[in-house]
Amino acid sequence: MESNWAAEHLQVIRTLMERSALYRRALAPIMIFNGVVGMAAAALGWALRIGPPRAFILFWAGVGIVAAVGSFLLVRRQAIKESESFWSPPTRRIMQALLPPLTVGLMVSVVVWARAGSVPRGDGSLAGMLWLPLSWVVLYGCAFHAAGFFMPRGMRLFGWAFIMGGCGLFSAGFPDWARPLDCANGIMGCFFGGLHLAYGVYLYFTERRRNET
Amino acid sequence: MNPEPFFQLDRVIHEKGRLTIMSMLAASPELSFTELRDGLGMTDGNLTTHIRTLQQSGYLSVTKSFQNNRPLTTCAMTAAGRKAFANYINLLEQIIRQNKPE
Repeated sequence: MESNWAAEHLQVIRTLMERSALYRRALAPIMIFNGVVGMAAAALGWALRIGPPRAFILFWAGVGIVAAVGSFLLVRRQAIKESESFWSPPTRRIMQALLPPLTVGLMVSVVVWARAGSVPRGDGSLAGMLWLPLSWVVLYGCAFHAAGFFMPRGMRLFGWAFIMGGCGLFSAGFPDWARPLDCANGIMGCFFGGLHLAYGVYLYFTERRRNET
Repeated sequence: MNPEPFFQLDRVIHEKGRLTIMSMLAASPELSFTELRDGLGMTDGNLTTHIRTLQQSGYLSVTKSFQNNRPLTTCAMTAAGRKAFANYINLLEQIIRQNKPE
């Protein structure tokens, strides 16, 4: 009998320790915001024919900054509303988990951007560079998978969707008739726009219910 | 069966409300009053009482500050609190081990 309550006590302690280490801010608005930004940027990139690799990298770096700043502002607004500190321990842990893969993505982009200018006809086409948006997708998935250990479980699956999608497209390749510009913006729109939006809508309907229980 | 571990359990931590507070703080360097209240589903008064008891025992430190012109109370476990909490868990494990059938 005594060992039963002791085991129950330990279980309660374990559950509470896990819960307090988790990031619990509402993610739906952040996901929906990023989804809308991703979709709009893909449409804009396609409409403006942003095809040269350097322009493509700069354009999507700009979109990334807009998405990151917007997400930070949304998190900050939630923190202020709930009288909590913005830079809470779970937020710090998530940033630490996100940082390595995102840094790799940044470094790869900087190197490709620098090389694109020195290669003859390097500014001409995205044809040989479709691996770049796919590597962004995979690295972004890795970042979210790592952060998922401090977030609700669904976030790790979200990371896996990016990783598997990116790897799948990388191994399947693109047909010869596909235009690189459409493919590149399509990849960015589908993954950074579509997946965020879909997950955001799912969270919108499930997050509040889960937090209430 | 040796009943000694049971009698060694720290009565301050053993109370259910205080145990949950200690558990939450054991996994985080610090938590705000709101985070604790919402995470544990306690009333303000209940949580304040438990925090005061833990603070008086030297297990918690409470910091009051202002954020965006709103008062912010944060709680953190002290070194003594961590030691007492680790000791409490060790005793629980001892009790479980003792009662395990051979």
